[in-house]
Amino acid sequence: MISSSGCAPKNPLPLNNNYSSYKIYVPFVTPRSELCASTSIGMVSSYWQTLMPYVPRLSLSELDERTLIPAKGGTLQIELIAAARANGLLAYPIEPTFDALFSELSEHHPVIVLVNRSYSWYPLWHYAPVTGYDAKEQTILMHFGDTPNEAVPIETFAALWERSGNWGVVLLPSGQLPASATAEKFLRTAYDLEKIGMPDEAIIAYKSALSRWSNDIPTLFALGNAYYNSHQITEAEQIYRKILLIDFKHPFALNNLADILCHTNRSDEALKLLDQVVTDNIEIQVLIKNTRKEIHSGCIPFIKK
Amino acid sequence: MKVSKLLLSFVLSVSLFTQVLSAQIASTEALLGQSAVSSSKEKLVQIISREDVAKSFQELGVDSKIIEARVASMTDEEASKIAHQIDTLPAGADAGMSVLGTIVFIFLVLLVTDILGVTKVFNFTKSMRN
Repeated sequence: MISSSGCAPKNPLPLNNNYSSYKIYVPFVTPRSELCASTSIGMVSSYWQTLMPYVPRLSLSELDERTLIPAKGGTLQIELIAAARANGLLAYPIEPTFDALFSELSEHHPVIVLVNRSYSWYPLWHYAPVTGYDAKEQTILMHFGDTPNEAVPIETFAALWERSGNWGVVLLPSGQLPASATAEKFLRTAYDLEKIGMPDEAIIAYKSALSRWSNDIPTLFALGNAYYNSHQITEAEQIYRKILLIDFKHPFALNNLADILCHTNRSDEALKLLDQVVTDNIEIQVLIKNTRKEIHSGCIPFIKK
Repeated sequence: MKVSKLLLSFVLSVSLFTQVLSAQIASTEALLGQSAVSSSKEKLVQIISREDVAKSFQELGVDSKIIEARVASMTDEEASKIAHQIDTLPAGADAGMSVLGTIVFIFLVLLVTDILGVTKVFNFTKSMRN
């Protein structure tokens, strides 16, 4: 911990860490006043563009107009994330630790950090991508200002970063997973894509999550629902059945599969599934009751797309 | 005002559309620990939050042509966080301090150090050590 007196300890890194040197070749963009969020997104986007068939959806000037709040002379963290998503990237806020930061660097994922260059009583907030670490010199490399890969002493970096609560975010093209992600937090991030109307990107993200956490029921369920909502009913059915192989009493999977069965003229099987639901939760009971009612009154077949 | 009306109709149409689509299935939201069925009251609160954000953005000088797209790219949670905390959230800014800011900053520091008696820059200060 950095004390508020401003005296930074000699080495802010966790004891016994074995962080090695990393250097990520992130294209550099010269800073423009008040637009460090947009510039940071731009740099990370062009980095991914050099590595894989990712095409940014927005130009740098479109990113500018989506991020700047003129009267504040800067960009909110939420809007940095929203603009990155609009640019076709998944934005995953990392845990506020050096471990999380270094695990992303080790997989060559640049991390955009928020730092306060001054004190809390005169904050000078700034976003910049971290592009590496020099273990010998103990410096963090980042596109901080006018110089590419500026070497910032680790003590200084720690002090500036700590003032933002160690806030950092990785921006990744669809199909890539953050090195430091947990299944649950990644799912929420991927689900955000769906919420703002990017279902195809969300489906890719769920699938890549399943490549790491293959039997994670919440992720499977989200994928099943995303298929359902985009009218890919056969795929949705397969996923709900897969959940039931792992947990045959899963009430949501039972309910949603029953719904599909009813809409595809398999009402008897649908009712049998609903009979398996055991729950004390009133909301789930209401849900099941409604589905049962719908099955009895006859479901309208899905409209073929 | 035109912006907020457009926004309202957009959000309403999106929410109505999704409601029709998944009237019977359990949503992903429900599994993630939020309420299983979002009430119409909650929906209304979310719509109002988005309107608030749009209004604040207008006041803070954001080009009205882009406000709709900016607000639409936020999730409900994000929009409501901005609506409630826009005055206190940090805004990452430029790469350096402005000249005027630097002058004010240096002035304040020297003023304090003068008063503490470790500098003697200004004639009008009286050190505590005197």
